[in-house]
Amino acid sequence: MGTAVIDARDLTKVYDGAGAETVALRGVTLRIDEGEYAAIMGPSGSGKSTLMHILGCLDTPTEGAYLLSGRDVAELDDYELAELRRTTVGFVFQAFNLLPRSTVMRNVIMPMLYTRVSHDERDDRAAAALRAVSLEEKLWTHRSNELSGGQMQRVAIARSLVNDPSLVLADEPTGNLDTATGDSVMDLFARLNAEGRTIVLITHEPDIATRTRRVVRITDGRIVEDAATADADIRQYGNGDGADSAVSPRVGDA
Amino acid sequence: MRFSDLISETLHSLTANKVRSGLTILGIVVGIASVIAMVAIGQGSQASIEQSIQAAGSNVLTVMPSAGGQSGPGVRMGAGSVESLTREDAESLAGLSLVTGVAPSSQGQGQLVAADANANAQFLGVTADYVKVKGLTVASGSFITGRDDEKNAQVVVLGATLAEDLFGESVDPVGKRIRSGNMLLTVVGVLKEKGTSGFTNVDSAAILPLSTCSRYVTGSEYLSSITLTIADEEQMDAAENSVSGLLLQRHGIASADYADFSIQNMADMLETVSSVTGTFTTLLAGIAGISLLVGGIGIMNMMLTTVTERTREIGLRKAIGADSSAISAQFLAESVTLTLIGGALGILTGWGIGALAASLLGASAIVTLDSVLLAVGVCAFIGIVFGYYPARRAASLSPIEALRYQ
Repeated sequence: MGTAVIDARDLTKVYDGAGAETVALRGVTLRIDEGEYAAIMGPSGSGKSTLMHILGCLDTPTEGAYLLSGRDVAELDDYELAELRRTTVGFVFQAFNLLPRSTVMRNVIMPMLYTRVSHDERDDRAAAALRAVSLEEKLWTHRSNELSGGQMQRVAIARSLVNDPSLVLADEPTGNLDTATGDSVMDLFARLNAEGRTIVLITHEPDIATRTRRVVRITDGRIVEDAATADADIRQYGNGDGADSAVSPRVGDA
Repeated sequence: MRFSDLISETLHSLTANKVRSGLTILGIVVGIASVIAMVAIGQGSQASIEQSIQAAGSNVLTVMPSAGGQSGPGVRMGAGSVESLTREDAESLAGLSLVTGVAPSSQGQGQLVAADANANAQFLGVTADYVKVKGLTVASGSFITGRDDEKNAQVVVLGATLAEDLFGESVDPVGKRIRSGNMLLTVVGVLKEKGTSGFTNVDSAAILPLSTCSRYVTGSEYLSSITLTIADEEQMDAAENSVSGLLLQRHGIASADYADFSIQNMADMLETVSSVTGTFTTLLAGIAGISLLVGGIGIMNMMLTTVTERTREIGLRKAIGADSSAISAQFLAESVTLTLIGGALGILTGWGIGALAASLLGASAIVTLDSVLLAVGVCAFIGIVFGYYPARRAASLSPIEALRYQ
């Protein structure tokens, strides 16, 4: 295999609640290499969201080491974590999280506001990203709340790509979309992966997981299965204890 | 974040909710405008009061007769109501080293009858030096001369207003005759308009030689005041002491407590009035400042609401790589922008209100660079102070919690 993008060793996460400790992760070791396309599956409360936050550098583990593109996250302060997110991770959210009153272009440019990219290069990169997600050019100047769900998610994916991240982290990216639109978004991910992007999806839907190339199943804070999709027992898992809270109702974007 | 991006993001989010931004700005406009207008009116009236005192000359001492014994027993009589000052007193005061000019005067009331008008006027009996000591200018003709005084000449110099009342605007009264009681006065001069200065309004006075006034108007040799000019404004106190000493000695009075005269020092008076009007201005500005404070709280309120409303946006921005300082800079920029826009409009509005109020009240309004700079400073300060807490709050949100916020 190639270079490790995600190198997590024995991650433990303990939340200090009022008087009660909640253990969300109990020793997760996971390595994902450049160019992989993996799904992290698990029911709610399994710790998959916590794992995603740590993988996306939004949170740090209580114990264990996490190296993202070779950098040890434990040694970074808030500013350096923000910088690492900015340069290394592209987030795609279930609820898209576009700025509703801003145009498509403005939304896609936003991650570059926090970098030193010049105005011209910004526009070029945003246009390239929007072309990569096949969004028609006439929509670029529309406000994002004028778009359909599938179009919004394409914009969100374009936004995740503009800083050329080594990892695209998508949290239930099809959760708010109907099946057909969800399929087209999954096609897009497959294409981006074929172009060499490293993509990690967090999902509870077996249908979505089957379209990736590797499945990591997590239950009660532990990895219980980690296999190539072809070999994984996804259907049974999905029909069995996969009773997640399903799709949460869509709320207005940020 | 680049500065140009910060500005662009700020304007973008402020225009997203125009009504709310507008009302918040209005709060600041009212605050700043009232401070500017109040200070302008206060400083305007202060300046006009000081000007009228200074017109009388700030290096001037006025000696007036007064009942002896400031702290003594018995009925105290008002200044000018007793007879204690004489021409001899005035002549001896002229010998003091610090005194550069002496103008004794007596006052009376009388009816003046010209060819086709008459007026009730204040008579001033003066000597030739009066014009110099009071800083008057003769518009046409000449002033009372020493010779007029020696000869009890029946001549008169008219104040500008009085001349107009008696002869109309276009006529030069010099050479004309006026009757008053059993005097037949020849007009020898007209004064240039001066405005109220100190306690006497020379514009509506009929000025006679002192001897003429004593004989025909007041019927008394006593003076109603002696005006002195002093060489050096810095030595007003010293001059006042020597004048007081000399007069006490001449009147045979042992202690200044029993003096039969009082001395008014224009410099002291100017100082007192300045400090009173200064306090008044500060008071007005203070009251106006309260509305500025309220405007500031309005900003904080709006920014806090905004932070809550945009929690998910903040979470998103952090997730895609904005650090805390970029988030707080953005919110701080929004509140500072609101206050600066409000401040600029407030300065203009305040200026307008000040000018309007001044023209209605007949006073003047002065907007100084100081008060504008102060207002701008206060605006920026308010923007930062009242924007800081909401900005900190936005920056300290955890991205995970913020993204989850519904």
